[in-house]
Amino acid sequence: MFSSKLKEALLCLRAGRVTLPYPFVPQAPPEGFRGKPEIDGELCVGCGTCAMVCPPRLITLADEGEYRVLTVDYTRCTYCARCEEVCPEGAIKMSNNFETATNQKDDLLLQVKMKLARCSRCNRPFATQRLVKKMAQKTIGDQGSGDTVPAWVSWCPDCRQKYEARILGRLGDVEDD
Amino acid sequence: MLTREELAQKLKEYGQDQVKNWVLRGSNQLQVNVDANVLPRIVGYVFNDLKARLITTVGTDRTPDTGWYEISYIFSFDWDNIILSITVEIDPEHPVVESVTPIIAGANWAEREVRDLIGVEPRNHPDPRRLVLADDWPEGLYPLRKDFPHNFKPEPVPGAEPPVRKAPENTTVVTVGPFFPTLEEPACYRLFVEGERIIDSDYRGFYSHRGIEKLADTVLDYNQVPFLAERICGICGFVHSCCYCQAVEAAAEIVIPDRARYIRTVMLELERIHSHLLWLGLAGHIIGFDTVLMQSWRIREPVMWLAEAITGNRKTYGMNLVGGVRRDISPELYPKILETIAGIESQLREVVDAIIDDTTLIMRLKDVGCLPLEDARSICVVGPTARASGVEIDSRIDHPYAAYPDLALTVPVFSAGDVWARTLVRLHELFESIGLIRQALEKMPEGSIMAEVGEIEPGREGISVIEAPRGECCHYVITGPGNRPYRWRVRASTYPQLQAVPTMLANNTVADAPIIIASIDPCFSCTERMETVDVRTRKVRVYNRNEVVEKSRREYRGGEN
Repeated sequence: MFSSKLKEALLCLRAGRVTLPYPFVPQAPPEGFRGKPEIDGELCVGCGTCAMVCPPRLITLADEGEYRVLTVDYTRCTYCARCEEVCPEGAIKMSNNFETATNQKDDLLLQVKMKLARCSRCNRPFATQRLVKKMAQKTIGDQGSGDTVPAWVSWCPDCRQKYEARILGRLGDVEDD
Repeated sequence: MLTREELAQKLKEYGQDQVKNWVLRGSNQLQVNVDANVLPRIVGYVFNDLKARLITTVGTDRTPDTGWYEISYIFSFDWDNIILSITVEIDPEHPVVESVTPIIAGANWAEREVRDLIGVEPRNHPDPRRLVLADDWPEGLYPLRKDFPHNFKPEPVPGAEPPVRKAPENTTVVTVGPFFPTLEEPACYRLFVEGERIIDSDYRGFYSHRGIEKLADTVLDYNQVPFLAERICGICGFVHSCCYCQAVEAAAEIVIPDRARYIRTVMLELERIHSHLLWLGLAGHIIGFDTVLMQSWRIREPVMWLAEAITGNRKTYGMNLVGGVRRDISPELYPKILETIAGIESQLREVVDAIIDDTTLIMRLKDVGCLPLEDARSICVVGPTARASGVEIDSRIDHPYAAYPDLALTVPVFSAGDVWARTLVRLHELFESIGLIRQALEKMPEGSIMAEVGEIEPGREGISVIEAPRGECCHYVITGPGNRPYRWRVRASTYPQLQAVPTMLANNTVADAPIIIASIDPCFSCTERMETVDVRTRKVRVYNRNEVVEKSRREYRGGEN
């Protein structure tokens, strides 16, 4: 009994004070920490992959007039980093910021507004201008500048489909002949 | 050792024509479809004669699919690595099934949960009170039915009262809760006491039932559920996300890379270390021995930092997806991991050495809150609670998963069944976990950490069990269309343990009630997804009031009994 008490007392004395003086001395998180996700509005193309995978559904995409708006509601973020993982443009990066407390709810709201491109055939807005440009670069490579851009680059998926169907239909006609 | 085919044959011989057909699934599952009217007989045979352990029951509304409600009674054959589901189909026009709780005390809550959420009435249930749903939830509305929208909020019934049990005559009710002191979680115990002695008790929980199973069945996709599963419990979150992923992987027959198996094992054991250290501190705090709280939490903190360095967060690691893990453990981190666990090991030895002979501690914990072996078996408790009562079960050995088949593990088992035995089991397990992490790092294979996962075919079923710090945790998944589960059922480890608490409390004093309840390491949020209520224990029932009065008076007068 007595020896136990003695050992316990020694244990406490040896351990001393271990509480860190946070927040008076800032604490740096380790490498690879998952803090508040930062979104680079310059790099975002509005593809919506992050909105699709986000488990708490706090990233949303909506069209407002001539703009597609990506909205991030940080109040519900769980810092899972799925958005960072799937973003094809590398526009989302988990930061070291974990001190997100605020008394202004708007501080925790982020919006990226991207101008919509209209289809040059049916005039329907169908994707952000950035995304159209990006896809054109990816599919036709260096030709994607100046006058050499093929017309279909600015068509919406529906119009491309109809066009394709018509060509295939014509091929069918040729075979019939 | 029994094989699945032999077991199926035995059941067929026993049940004759009423055992309709059987299916083998994955590496260790057997599903047997039986007639609903023969169910209690078959269940009695499996539990009493074949000595299987009931894990849980799962109710599923399959009316859009097959036209029936389906209930599966899931059993574990711990010595033979078989998980048996006995499945009955229930006519939606007459949703009634004979209760098996008179045969297996541990089926009590699970049957009431099926009633609350699916609406299949267990006939002749000894305690048919509401368990999971809120007191003011209207009668006749069953949230897990497929025609029930996930976001529907019914009008609360005015003036609803909790379904409390009447106190036995001449007893006083002492209420502990609705917020549990020291654990700061919602749970309400009503202790029926005579003088200082607890005669019986009643439990009402499920105050924060969150409906997450419904959410997974209707809104989230396969890879969003792990993050929800992780939030079932703030302590053993990794267990839940891992268990869910394993269930989907079993259903879809996805083989995950070896390195992912090992990383999951390392994280599971790290989680056990910090969970047991947390419990040790809380247990000390509850009996007023705060040195243990301070010292075990001091030792625990480096585990949290280590988890932060490995996964990017000290809790809710976000590591699991169906098919593997998201983040590799870089070999540069190995020395840090080894150094941290070596530090924990030596410091823990110091603490254990200091407290193990402390008579104050032993007097508070020894012979307190006993759970005899036969009750542990009939209530089907799991984990350290079971192992402290002499039940030799551990899912890591009985139903091996992740990297456990490759690792050496000793399972500590004690027979006293008291709070002290539960403490000793956890202390031993801490050292075992440290050894397992060392082995896993040593044998860690190279390679990828995520398997290619294609489209998952609907209508497949998978069951997965994991030895969580609190005991076996079970997830059951039926795959569905739309890239999401058709049904996801979680049976967390606290669920069976809480049902054993009345047995532990009976004949103890009020002063010991907090540590007895805490000795199962209760995680109320684990249970709150579902429903609950409690039962008079067998032990209590054998005394009538006069006998109990006499016994307690005798004990008071004569001291030792």
